[in-house]
Amino acid sequence: MTETATLPLAAAPKRKLGGLEAWFPTAVFAAGGALLPLLGDSYLGVIATRACIYWVLVSGLNLVVGFAGQIAIGWVALLTLGAYVTSVLTAGTVMPELSPYLALLVAAAVGAVFGVIIGLPALRLRTFYFAMTTLGFATIVTQVALAWKSVTGGGVGVPGPVLPYPFASPWGFYYFCLGLAVLCTWMTSNIASSRFGRSLVAIRDAEVAAEAVGISKPALLVTVFLFSGAVAAIAGGLFASLQSYITPDAFTFDLSVLFFIAILIGGRGSILGPLLGTIILTALPEFAAPLVAWSTFLYAVLLLVIVLAVPGGIADMLDFKNRRPLERHREIRPRPELLAQILPPQARPNLLKLANVSLSFGGVRAIDGVDLEIRMGEVHGLIGPNGSGKTTMLNVISGYYAPQQGQVRLNEEILPPRAAAARAGWRIARTFQTPRLVGAESVLENVMIGATTAGRASFVASLLALPSHRRDEVQAYDAAMAALSAVGLDQLAFVRTDRLQHSELRFVEIARALVLQPSFLLLDEPAAGLSVDEIERLGALIVSISRRGTGVLLVEHHADLIFDICDRVTVLNLGKVLASGTPAEIRAHREVVNAYLGA
Amino acid sequence: MPTSAPDPLLQISDLSTGYGKIGVLHGIDLTVGPGELVALLGPNGAGKTTLLRAISGLLPRSGQVRFAGKDLSGAGPRDMVRAGLAHVVEGHRVFTQLTVFDNLLLAGYGMRRRERETQVEEALAFFPEIAAKRNDRAVTLSGGQQQMLAVAQGLVRQPRLLLLDEPSAGLSPVLVDRVLAAAGRLRDGGTAVLLVEQLIEKALRIADRVYALVRGSIVLEAAGNEPDLPARLEAAYFGHSLRPPAEPS
Amino acid sequence: MLLSIVSYGLALGAVYALIGITYNVMFAASRVFSFTAGTVGMLGGVFGALCIDRLGMPVAVGFLITLAAGAGLGIITEILTVRPVLKSLDQHLYVLSTLAFALMLQQLTAIEWSTEPQPFPRLLPFGPGWFDQQFWLPLLACALTIAGLEWLYRYTLVGRAFLAISEDNYAARALGLPEQTLRLASYALAGMIGTLAGFTGGEMMLAYFGNGPLLNFYGFVPVALGGMGSNRGAVAGGLALGLFQQTANFLVGGIFASVAIFVVFILVLLVRPEGFAGAAPARRV
Repeated sequence: MTETATLPLAAAPKRKLGGLEAWFPTAVFAAGGALLPLLGDSYLGVIATRACIYWVLVSGLNLVVGFAGQIAIGWVALLTLGAYVTSVLTAGTVMPELSPYLALLVAAAVGAVFGVIIGLPALRLRTFYFAMTTLGFATIVTQVALAWKSVTGGGVGVPGPVLPYPFASPWGFYYFCLGLAVLCTWMTSNIASSRFGRSLVAIRDAEVAAEAVGISKPALLVTVFLFSGAVAAIAGGLFASLQSYITPDAFTFDLSVLFFIAILIGGRGSILGPLLGTIILTALPEFAAPLVAWSTFLYAVLLLVIVLAVPGGIADMLDFKNRRPLERHREIRPRPELLAQILPPQARPNLLKLANVSLSFGGVRAIDGVDLEIRMGEVHGLIGPNGSGKTTMLNVISGYYAPQQGQVRLNEEILPPRAAAARAGWRIARTFQTPRLVGAESVLENVMIGATTAGRASFVASLLALPSHRRDEVQAYDAAMAALSAVGLDQLAFVRTDRLQHSELRFVEIARALVLQPSFLLLDEPAAGLSVDEIERLGALIVSISRRGTGVLLVEHHADLIFDICDRVTVLNLGKVLASGTPAEIRAHREVVNAYLGA
Repeated sequence: MPTSAPDPLLQISDLSTGYGKIGVLHGIDLTVGPGELVALLGPNGAGKTTLLRAISGLLPRSGQVRFAGKDLSGAGPRDMVRAGLAHVVEGHRVFTQLTVFDNLLLAGYGMRRRERETQVEEALAFFPEIAAKRNDRAVTLSGGQQQMLAVAQGLVRQPRLLLLDEPSAGLSPVLVDRVLAAAGRLRDGGTAVLLVEQLIEKALRIADRVYALVRGSIVLEAAGNEPDLPARLEAAYFGHSLRPPAEPS
Repeated sequence: MLLSIVSYGLALGAVYALIGITYNVMFAASRVFSFTAGTVGMLGGVFGALCIDRLGMPVAVGFLITLAAGAGLGIITEILTVRPVLKSLDQHLYVLSTLAFALMLQQLTAIEWSTEPQPFPRLLPFGPGWFDQQFWLPLLACALTIAGLEWLYRYTLVGRAFLAISEDNYAARALGLPEQTLRLASYALAGMIGTLAGFTGGEMMLAYFGNGPLLNFYGFVPVALGGMGSNRGAVAGGLALGLFQQTANFLVGGIFASVAIFVVFILVLLVRPEGFAGAAPARRV
């Protein structure tokens, strides 16, 4: 294989079903939907309208449940909210009547706010607890609708909004709903293939690693709840129009279940999957009349089957690309000469300095008055017996733990103690003891996550596929491919990450870290589980990285690797620095040897 | 190189295991004879704890495990315990909310009541220090006492082979000597012991045989009293390569 | 009036507390929560009405059958929805699998039993009084359950084995404890406690499939507030919840009472996610 300095750009990223280019699900849906009236069946039209309305809600909820992985079961609360707000505003009972379009917009605003209110507990609560609170919300909203008779008409209900010409007729209304549904498909597809979509999935499956690349969970979740709440409320308004008249018992718990299950049956992290799921679940009871009473029961059975047998849902079942067998005896051959494409020369001599850092857990002093300096372009080894505090040190530097004493400074500026998500901004990148990657996504997408903080497009810009979004994507793609080529895994770029071998996963983590263009790279036992050859190549790669100016902190058990490539080595024992010096000095240091041999 | 006893109590052949995708042990062969104290040494991350877990069935494994003449290759921890093997895990993990006595009773879960109570008393007799605290909750015990309790748990069923995982971890030197002396006494009494230890010198003092495990493979097997052992172990730990330092950048 | 509030409050509170204990026992054995807890409570009422009213069995027999059904449901929950998921890498699948099973049971009940609340039989042959059996039966059940569990944990080896696998599953396995069987037994026990709650609370709550989600939520509040795994906390939380609910009902009416409870629930959790008696979460990295 000839090695060249410039890579041929691989074909446009092909991803599994959910991430296909934004246009695919949208186009198919739009085409199919537009042709439906040709069948002339008005009953079919009602079902189709209902499916479109549900999909408007589910498309937003998909970002919350399928992408961010939050178990928000009670989303019918927002449907209810939207339905009532729209109906009341167009009925003119509380204030002068508004046009239905305006009412929908107001409902969207209200939905956005309540979406955040319902979703906020997700930031503090464990999964099960959060699921419970969303269920509680759903019940509360229905009960308030029942009780607030003066506004909602109580049990009697209110008439739904009627859209003006040309959307007043059934088919006209259908086209309106179809149009919104197609718009939602397009928008959420755009998000799915943007840094926001990748960040959401990272939060879901690799939260700790997400922090390390600079993803801020609160900000992202709030954004998604805003969007999801807004579209759910709009769906509510449309729903009210479809029903022509709404009462609180139109918003059953069964609906919440339907929305939620549609996403899981469709497959998390996918757009097309949940779309198909919604259509199937809406249409099914209609076509099998005896099934209507059993519909929720069947949804539940389907959910159980999916969870136990095919957790990836329809999207997984249709992911033929990832069933193709991979080459058995793959070798990882990094090409350090390609690092020039991903690591720019460092602007200034950087210094990472720890001064007198201490941290105790319970009564145990994990780190005790440690001083450490990592210079630009240096490979600094950190070794020590189990329990010596190596990983704790790494976690302090990368901002997961706050030291009780002492500071970490980067070029004389103190790094905020407990701010792991901020480290990416300081160009400090790390890998983890056990690779933390999103198994369900492709290798390339995992590495592109490293480019999150480099992205400039806002959420709205991505939603609408504005030029800034496209620019971000191209840059992220290029950076990630360059990093993958440098570590020697570009051949596997489009493979689902959980199909890779353990050693390959370690190199993927390194590629992800490289995309951050780090001034300092912290490696947590990268050699564990690697073969002798792989360790040699890893060593060469690390040395090349450091030669580009990045300071590397290498925490390792593997004595050979440490002594081969490190410029300096620090030895920790029981939380204190036992010795610090060149590898030769350390190797000859009697106390170090004794500490390891436990004399 | 000494040959193992004609009929080893524990015989491991070609054992491999790991955690998920991470392969940790590669084709391990190991034997322990009846009444032998075998020390398993090696640097951090070598896989010593993993090996003990594979032997006692806590981890699934490939390869062959023969114990007390029976093929127990597919056995889980319950079957191994019933066959006469006891595993004292790392970190002196006892049930802190239960009393010392209850901790020991649980070790005899499944035995007949009379038998269980008798053998709990015998186990306690081995460690008079904690016998005095029999009705205290385990959380009130010091680290060293908890370690002794953990070993006592292993003794309740009068095992033929006791696996001890770093009993010295976190203990003061005095306590370490006490615990290791207890291991020696067990061996003298006829119980075989497979001892994982970090403290090489102390382990060598009581071991009949020694294995060194480095990066998932056995690199050394020797009798405990061979004279150049410490030096050979040091070489094994730090790798044979003593290359000159890397070129300055 | 006050008397009515206190009686209803404590009695319902006792039912909630028992469901909370059901959650806790399942949690102690497997470290996951199951949506089936409240559903099993609902089925306690439905099975009771089914056996005694519809099938005409004597009260004692109906009671035993209901308990057996509870144990059976607990066992199915463990085998079908918990065990397969514990082995997988995605730890949160248990929320979905137990939810699915709970929904299935609920819908089945709605279809096969009735979508409307059905009356629950009088259990004991004496007439209504100021402190009626519908009030003191749940309280008695609650007290007996707590006492029973204490006895189990303190005086039987099986109970202590439950505590062991709850505290340190790994050490328990290494010791040779039959961890799988013990977990199954815990779930059976939890199922029985759940149906006991529904059975004794049947007269108050009626035999109604909609009690499922209701008990799921109101049975969980004591757990969330009292700290997961703490049975004492669940009892205190349950009784407090019952009293608060009835008081709020009386003062501001049913719907605002629910809103009030929910708001308090959320606020407490946001301030102290681990509840009042729970432990702070462990290190993540």
